[in-house]
Amino acid sequence: MIHIQDKKSMLGQGILIFIYLAVLTGLEFFVAISFNSVPLLVVVALVKAALVLYYYMHVYKLNAESPDEDENSYDYKTGTNRLGLWLFLISDSFVFAALMVVRINLLGLTRPHLDQTLGLLVTAVLLVSSFFMNRGETLMHGGDRKGFLTNTMITFGLGLAFLIGVIFVEWPNAISEGVTPSGGPQGAVFFMMTGMHAFHVLTGLIFLLVVLVNGRRGLYDQQNYPVEAVAVYWHFIDVVWIFFYPALYLIGALT
Amino acid sequence: MRNKYPVRSGLLLLVLGGAIGYGIGLGIDVLISGTLNYSGSVASAFALLLAVSSFFFGVFGYRGITRGLVWQVLGTLIGGFFVTGIRALMGLDLFGSFFFTEPAWVFGAFSGVISFLFGVGVVSDWMKWARGIDTPEHHEDVPTWEKYLGVSLDHKVIGIQYTVTALVLISVGGLFALIFRTELAASQLQFLTTTFKLFNQTGPQIYNSLMSLHGIIMIVSILLGVSGIMNYVIPLLLGAQDMAFPRMNAFAFWIAVPASVLLLMSLVLGGFDTGWTGYPPLSARAPVGVQMFFLGVISAGWSSILGSLNIIATIVRMRAKGMNAMRMPIFMWASIATSIIALTATQLIGLSFQLVMFQRLFGMGFFDPTKGGNPVLFQHLFWFYSHPAVYVFVLPGLGIISELLPVFVRKPLFGYRWVAMSSLGIALVGFLVWAHHMFTSGMNEYLRVPFMYSTLLVAVPTGVKFFSWVATLWGGKITTPTPMLFVLGAIVVFLLGGLTGPPNATVSTDLHLHDTYFIVGHFHDTIFGGFVFPFFAALYYWYPKATGRRMNEFWGKVHFWMMTPSFLILTFGMMRVGLLGMRRRIVDYDPALGFDLSHLVMTIAGYLIGLSVLIFLINFFRSMKHGEKAEGNVWNSRSPEWQVPSPMPAHNYAVPFEVVGEPYDYGLPGSKYVQFIDAPEHIAHPEVAGHSEMKTH
Amino acid sequence: MRHFVIVGILVVVMSILTYIGLAAIGLMPLAASTQAGPIDWLWNLEVMTISFLFALIVVPMAYSLVVFRRKQGDTTDAEHIEGNTNLEITWTIVPLFMVMVFAYLGAGNLAEIRRVDPQAMVVNVTGLQWAWTFEYPAYGVVANELHVPEGQQVLLQMTSNDVLHSFWVPEFRVKQDLVPGRITELRFTPTVPGSYKVRCAEICGTSHAYMEAPVIVSAQADFDAWMTEQVALAEEAAATPEGRGRALVAANGCVACHSVNGAAGIGPTWFGLFGRQERLTDGSVVTADDAYIHESIKAPQAKIVAGFENQLMPAYNFNDEQITDIISYIKTLK
Ligand code: HEA
Ligand code: HEA
Ligand code: CUA
Ligand SMILES: [Cu+2]
Repeated sequence: MIHIQDKKSMLGQGILIFIYLAVLTGLEFFVAISFNSVPLLVVVALVKAALVLYYYMHVYKLNAESPDEDENSYDYKTGTNRLGLWLFLISDSFVFAALMVVRINLLGLTRPHLDQTLGLLVTAVLLVSSFFMNRGETLMHGGDRKGFLTNTMITFGLGLAFLIGVIFVEWPNAISEGVTPSGGPQGAVFFMMTGMHAFHVLTGLIFLLVVLVNGRRGLYDQQNYPVEAVAVYWHFIDVVWIFFYPALYLIGALT
Repeated sequence: MRNKYPVRSGLLLLVLGGAIGYGIGLGIDVLISGTLNYSGSVASAFALLLAVSSFFFGVFGYRGITRGLVWQVLGTLIGGFFVTGIRALMGLDLFGSFFFTEPAWVFGAFSGVISFLFGVGVVSDWMKWARGIDTPEHHEDVPTWEKYLGVSLDHKVIGIQYTVTALVLISVGGLFALIFRTELAASQLQFLTTTFKLFNQTGPQIYNSLMSLHGIIMIVSILLGVSGIMNYVIPLLLGAQDMAFPRMNAFAFWIAVPASVLLLMSLVLGGFDTGWTGYPPLSARAPVGVQMFFLGVISAGWSSILGSLNIIATIVRMRAKGMNAMRMPIFMWASIATSIIALTATQLIGLSFQLVMFQRLFGMGFFDPTKGGNPVLFQHLFWFYSHPAVYVFVLPGLGIISELLPVFVRKPLFGYRWVAMSSLGIALVGFLVWAHHMFTSGMNEYLRVPFMYSTLLVAVPTGVKFFSWVATLWGGKITTPTPMLFVLGAIVVFLLGGLTGPPNATVSTDLHLHDTYFIVGHFHDTIFGGFVFPFFAALYYWYPKATGRRMNEFWGKVHFWMMTPSFLILTFGMMRVGLLGMRRRIVDYDPALGFDLSHLVMTIAGYLIGLSVLIFLINFFRSMKHGEKAEGNVWNSRSPEWQVPSPMPAHNYAVPFEVVGEPYDYGLPGSKYVQFIDAPEHIAHPEVAGHSEMKTH
Repeated sequence: MRHFVIVGILVVVMSILTYIGLAAIGLMPLAASTQAGPIDWLWNLEVMTISFLFALIVVPMAYSLVVFRRKQGDTTDAEHIEGNTNLEITWTIVPLFMVMVFAYLGAGNLAEIRRVDPQAMVVNVTGLQWAWTFEYPAYGVVANELHVPEGQQVLLQMTSNDVLHSFWVPEFRVKQDLVPGRITELRFTPTVPGSYKVRCAEICGTSHAYMEAPVIVSAQADFDAWMTEQVALAEEAAATPEGRGRALVAANGCVACHSVNGAAGIGPTWFGLFGRQERLTDGSVVTADDAYIHESIKAPQAKIVAGFENQLMPAYNFNDEQITDIISYIKTLK
């Protein structure tokens, strides 16, 4: 695939990808409720993850040769930072992978009693936030500080909404459904997975806040790697949810 | 803040602080339990915390590490009382037999670690960045020894901080070993009797706690020692000014300090009798000490995760001009392989312990069969890290062996590419073998044979290393100064350890060997051969680079010739009694088995190892002042760090170098590994240094 | 060339000496089960391989150290040899082949020791901190010793009441963990009559070291005699309350912690317990009467005798007449 560089088409691309993701999520949901086919759900999740990884997190930037070989230039340092961040994400993904293993081992092809619509809702919220994050980043790269601020602000708002939705709506809801942390494997797994994810959302929000505040001071008008970093991290959290959502809400039968 | 006798006043305050802390603890204990318990946990915990922090206060004043420790103590108390307060509102009981209740201790310990990091000041730059304030690339260190007790961004300082911490931990862990070895010297209970009471534990419980702590403290000390060598050496060999992320580097070291404190805390807070593997359901019932152990391991885990991240980034991004993959010093390959494991797998030991932690705190029954949990699942999660971890211990060690051999054989490393690739091979295959620790665990039967195959595969790349080493030695011109002695010792000892691996890997024999002293013998051999011996070799070898002085050659040789035979006796004895029926992790053994003599011999051997290490420690610290000056190319090596005078200046190479040849082309006339861009006159001449080197033996 | 010949000879000599030496020490304990046969066979093969490989590495090393030592005053470097691909390939392929052979043999070996005998005698094993109980479903007998007839395969169906334990009789070689909440199986066929010990091989807490129980292998006739005796005892015991109590105590391994002869133990001794004045951790003093003992069994943590703070006894939910039986058994301990 070719990497479009100019700002306008980048934004266009962002919208396109968002539409794909939205459609796939819908499909996912449909598959789950109509004929519960695990392989299909896995495939859809993988496709979604791939889209985000490539177009929103632009992994390809990793082997983008930095123009000058001077180890102290900002470009070169940015390359190093990029590598560092991705290494961290790889490391982090092992935690989530392990949680998946725990879920599969303990729950197998069953899933806890959870509010489907609520699940779809929070998922949608997170997805939309990713979209705005991407917009904000693109605009910042284009040097448009205002646009960046507004979009990132929206991202932050949606992220906060997701967090509140999970912790103050979804959790009490689950407990009322009898899915409690100490009640059995289902509750334990559900609260562990959502909890671990929510914790990452929280850290993501903090980074967003930092970037917003410094962005307002115009710190990133020239050197805007921090914006890219927070964006990549935020999308990573989204990728995790792309797998956790079906794992908790869609795959398997209720017991 | 200077004082003339830092150590003296430190020790004085250590005693004072300890006494005061003990008093406070005793008082509190009386208030809550109403009985005077002189060997109780609370008193001891306070004594420990205050003693440590006031020691550094005496040495160093209220800066750096002291500040960190004080903040950790305060953070622990504040966190603890915070939770206790919440419990008060919820109407739960406020204090337990360990003063705080378990949730209070856990949260307190956690906030203690965070507070330490803020107190010591490793996060202050990041905080500034978050507030949009820029900070200088480097902070200049004070030129004295004091820079080692505070935050420094210089990889050399951090490397030494790591190394010294590792040595302290080895000493403590070793001391524990010597204590419980003494108990094992004869059958029946010698001094750890059922009436013996310490830290709210009876003799056998103390044995279990010491044994478990010995394991984990030693393992942490390995991780730190490995990081120490890698931190010090890698940028020098790459020709880089520093690591890729100096602040994260400092962070990775400093988080290991509160981690070590937590590990020690676990002993006084009731200990834990689970072994270093902490299998539930036992670990779900153990005293609160096990929580400190979990938190300690998790913190130490983050240290090695961030450290390895840094190392990969550094090696990938900061190599000198012309240093392509196949011209890297072989140690780089070892480090990359190690770091790949540490970066990824470490998360799983953290998670598995965290799950047990939550099972205890919130009753989340992941591993609790009565709640539909699965105890065997824990073992899978745990070993998915802890097997690859064993290669984290050895790969750098094997790298050091491959790095030093050519220097003392004056001959290229035989089959560089193969040795390099074998490191990656070991690391990658190492990910696929974890269940060989679980052949008897009751996991699915059909898993056993595939894991036997994969496990045995590891022998192949390891073998490549051994054969290449032998071929390197063959036909060389070998000299045997202390570092070389330890390299050779490492090869023999690791060979023994390695060769006792396959019998464990073939399922049917492992059904007999599992959880016996044969295993204990196996891994002491692998760990000593793969880490301890190479570690000592590296210390003797790079010591002049760091200090500009050599360690005493004579005492070095004494260290070697004392440690090696007694160690071989120790592990051979372990394997023998193991085969005959000696189980692991037992405080006492059936006299009918007739092991008393063997165990007595092992204990004596253990003491001799201890003594030899003590000799090393003295030599190590004494030589800093009194060692023979050695500023040139002491070992007549080709690698860049030896082409400039020792000790290494603050920002490494004044003039950058360029790689113009193969790293180990000894005996190839006129060949050079590195070429300084514009050769500075101060470069020591290899030949000259070479001669002075030769004279010493 | 000369060097290689010498080293070759030395390697052979060294391997043989090492192997003979190791064999002479007698590494393995007595082999007292059918399963021990294949295992010791494979082990022996491994010892041979180890001796050979050890010699293969160490002899050339030692030889180089002596022969290729740097001569006095020589400061030149050695001959410049970078490597030899054929050699490298050889010593990759050959070990690969060797380990594959070992894996193959190991798999066969495992299958052999797990061969199923449909007539196997079933024993239900329960592990608990820190005792073993063996139930013979075919005879309705429960004991704290494992008695098995010679030459007959035994199928242990094992589980644990609390934490992990591991069943291991060194002379039988095989080992299997006991996992709470599931049943694990172990098969062995004792061949040599005698008395052995099962030793718990998985750390299970304070008294892990002492979690041992006698294993008696005897001729079929003696085994039958023992069994009939046990059945008789069980029947007569079932007749009296203290007898039933004794049986319950045996089945639940209480004696692992509470001695019945006054000896010190993990928990307070039962010898002369009934009616005794017990001083508790809170300083108060109670008389060990029915009510007290009843409570101590149902809710062990309610009243803890001074000196036993650290040993947490699990709660047992016997029904009331079971407890009265146990108490009446305790009453007989004077
Ligand atoms: C430094 C750490 C280290 C290293 C390098 C190794 C290396 C190996 N280990 Fe070990 N091991 C441990 C540390 C280590 N181990 C620890 C700490 C435990 C116990 C954990 C606990 O329970 O507390 C353990 C336990 C352990 C077990 C579990 C035993 C049990 O509990 O039942 C097994 C089983 O397969 C095993 C196997 C191996 C194998 C096959 C290798 C191989 O990598 C060895 C490969 C090397 C060689 C084989 C020698 C050189 C090769 C040649 C000369 C080529 C020719 C060789 C052949 C053809 C065979 N180890
Ligand atoms: C780096 C790893 C390492 C090292 C170096 C050692 C070193 C030693 N170990 Fe090891 N050991 C383990 C790792 C290690 N061990 C592990 C992982 C376990 C498994 C634990 C478990 O089962 O969970 C274990 C278990 C273990 C056991 C089995 C316990 C049991 O199962 O019941 C035994 C028994 O003999 C033992 C003995 C020894 C001895 C005698 C030494 C000697 O080499 C020690 C020599 C002494 C020293 C190195 C200290 C010297 C320094 C001083 C004396 C100076 C003191 C001064 C100050 C403190 C300032 N160890
Ligand atoms: Cu039961 Cu150890
Ligand atoms: Cu292993």
